Amino acid sequence: MDFIVLVVYISIYIGLVATTFYILTFVSSKDDKEKMFKEHELPTVSVLIPVLNEEKSIVSTLNSILKSDYPLDKLEVIVIDNNSTDNTNKLVREFIEKRNKIKRKTFKIKLYIEKNPGKGNALNLGISKAKGEIVFSMDADTFVEPWSLKNMVRYFKNPEVMCVSPGITIYNPRNILQRVQYIEYVIGLFLRKTFAILNAIHITPGAFSAYRKSFFDRYGGYDAGNITEDLELAMRIQYNGYKIENSPDSPAYTIAPNKFSHLLKQRRRWYIGLMKNMWKYKNLFGKKYGDMGMFVLPIAWISIFFAVFITSYFFIKTLFDIGDEISFLKSIHFDFGNFFDINYYFWDRLFFSVLSNTIIIFILFFVVIILAYLFYASRKLGKVNSLWINLPLFFIFFAVLFGFWWIVSLFYMIANGGRVSWK
Amino acid sequence: MSYVWHHNNQYKHLICVFEMVKKGKKTDNVPIDNGGAQRRIQSNGRYLLAFIIGTLVFILGFVITYSVSYFQYDRISDFQDITSYSIFSDKLGYEIFNKDICSFNNFKEISEGLGYQGRVIDDLERRLGKDNKDVLFRKRFYTLVELEHLEFINKMNKECKRSIPTILFFYSNEENDLSTSEDAGKLLDTLSSRHRELIIYSFDVNLDSELIDNLKDEYEVYKTPFAVVNQESKIIDFTDIKKFEDVLGESDAPVSKNVIRL
Repeated sequence: MDFIVLVVYISIYIGLVATTFYILTFVSSKDDKEKMFKEHELPTVSVLIPVLNEEKSIVSTLNSILKSDYPLDKLEVIVIDNNSTDNTNKLVREFIEKRNKIKRKTFKIKLYIEKNPGKGNALNLGISKAKGEIVFSMDADTFVEPWSLKNMVRYFKNPEVMCVSPGITIYNPRNILQRVQYIEYVIGLFLRKTFAILNAIHITPGAFSAYRKSFFDRYGGYDAGNITEDLELAMRIQYNGYKIENSPDSPAYTIAPNKFSHLLKQRRRWYIGLMKNMWKYKNLFGKKYGDMGMFVLPIAWISIFFAVFITSYFFIKTLFDIGDEISFLKSIHFDFGNFFDINYYFWDRLFFSVLSNTIIIFILFFVVIILAYLFYASRKLGKVNSLWINLPLFFIFFAVLFGFWWIVSLFYMIANGGRVSWK
Repeated sequence: MSYVWHHNNQYKHLICVFEMVKKGKKTDNVPIDNGGAQRRIQSNGRYLLAFIIGTLVFILGFVITYSVSYFQYDRISDFQDITSYSIFSDKLGYEIFNKDICSFNNFKEISEGLGYQGRVIDDLERRLGKDNKDVLFRKRFYTLVELEHLEFINKMNKECKRSIPTILFFYSNEENDLSTSEDAGKLLDTLSSRHRELIIYSFDVNLDSELIDNLKDEYEVYKTPFAVVNQESKIIDFTDIKKFEDVLGESDAPVSKNVIRL
C-alpha cells in the first residue's frame, strides 16, 4: 500500500471515530432550561461596537440592535470609534440624535473615542465604560436577529458560563469565496454546539460574542497586543476553568471577505493567532481539561496536520501531473473529440469504479454527515441558502483552500519569526 | 461543581496579568493561573462506543467496496462468457457449417465489449490485488478471447478482401511503467475514436501466460508501451498520434503470413 494511501486511511479512521464521538455527545445531551434566565431575570447588557471607517455598515448594525426584543431598559449600546477618518463618527452621532428625538422608549447609545489603535484597545475602553452585567463584542459589519441577544444572555444564569457564542454565519454570500465560507460557517454550527456540550469551545467569533463583565474585572480585558484577541480571550476563559456556551438559535450574520487576498490575510492572521495562543495556553492539553484537553484539542490539531499533509501532497502531485497531461495532449494534437465519446461502457465503468473505491465510499459517508450538519443548521437558522450551488463549491474548493491557508500561514510565521500584524 | 477557583496567593498573579493586559503589554511569558480547575471526562463509555462504531463503519467501508468489486467480477465473468460464446459460435459457423464469414458484421460491437472487459479487469486487479487468482484467471481468459477475435478478424480481412485495421498494444501495470502505459492507452483511445473501424487488442506483458510469452517472442516486445500496427509495424514512440496515423494510412490489411502463431 502506498504511504499516502495509508495516511489517508489513518485520517479517515480518526475522522470516523471523532465524528461518531461528536454525534454521540450531541445526541446524549439536552439544554437544561433550569439553568437559563427567564424573561424577568434577564440581566443588564452592554453591546460594544468598535468601529474604524465603517460608514457603509454601522447604521445597519445599529438598526439590527434596535430591532432586538431585549428589554430596552436593560440594554445599552457603546460605539467606540478607533480614529475613523470617514463619516463613521458623524453617522453614529446622527443616529444617536435621531433616537433622542423619538419619544418612544429606547435603549441608550453612547459614543467614545479610543485614540490607541487596535480593536483590543477599543473594546477595553468599552468594557471600562459598560454598565451591563453582560458585555457583547460586536463588529460593525455584523447583524443579528431580534431574538439573538436574549437567547444568548439566557445561558448566563449558570455562574460558570463566562462567554456565549452565537450561531455565526455569513451575510448574503455572493461570490465563490463567500459561498465556500458560508458552508464552512454553517457546518461549524453543529460542531460548536457539540464542543459547548463538552465544554471545549476554544474559539469564539470576534464578530459577535457575549461575555460576563465580571470575568474582565477579575482576569483583565482584551490582550491588545494579540493579533487574535478574541481567540486569546476564549482560551483564557477555558484556561481559568470557566464555561463557554453556544446558542445556535441566535443567528449573527457577518460579512465575509470577498477577495482572495483579503481572505488570505484574514486566515493567515487567524491561523497564526491560533498557533501562538495555543502555544501560550499549551497547558489546555491534557487530562486536567477533561474532554477538551484529552480529545477535542488533540483531534483538532491532528486533523489540521493531516489536512495540510494530504492537501500538499495532492497539490504537488497535481503540478507534476499537469506536465504529464500537457505532454499527452500534445501527443494527440490537443484533440478533445475523444473526451466526449461517452457511451454505456463509460458510465458503467465509472459507476463501479466509484462504488468500489474505499476512499470515495468514505468521502460519500462524510458528505452524508455534512448534510446532517446542514440540516441541523437549517433548523437553527431558519434556512440554509442556495445549498445546491454552495455545497458543490464547498466540496470542490474548501479542502484546497484550507490546506493552502495553513501552508501560507506556517511559511509566513517562519519567515517573519512569528511577527504578524493585524491587517 | 464550580470551576471558579479562589486562592489568594495565585490571585496576585492574576492581578499582575490584568494590569499588564490593561496596559496592552504582551503576556506570553507571564505565568497564568488557571485557578486549579479540574475537569472530568464526561463519559468514558461514550469514547468506547465511538471507537467501536467508528471501527465498524471503517470496516464496513472496506466490506462494501470489496462486495462491489466481487459483484463486478461476477458481471464481467458473465459478460466475458457471452462474448467468447459469440466468437466461438461465429467461428464454428463458418468453419464447420460453411457460413459466409463476410456476413458477420458484429465484430466492432464485440471488440468494444472486449475493450470494456479489459479495462474492468485492470480495475479489478488494482482493487483486489495483482495476485488474486480469480482476476488472474479472467485476465488469461481475456487474452485467449482477444486472440480468438484477432484470428477471426484476420480471416475476415483475407477472405472478404477487407482491411480492418488492428493494433496489438502491449502495456505494463508495474508501478514504474503504469503512468506511461496509461498515457499510451489514452492515445490509442483517441486514435480509436478517429478511426472507427480500428480494433485495439491490449496485452499485459507481466501476465504469467504462455500466450503472452509467445506474443512477446513473436513481436520482439522488449519494452512497454509497445504497439504493433496491423501486425506489421512496431511502434514504441507514443509521443505523437500522427506516427500511428501515418502507418495506418500506408498499411493495408494484414496478410496471412502475419497471422500470429499461438
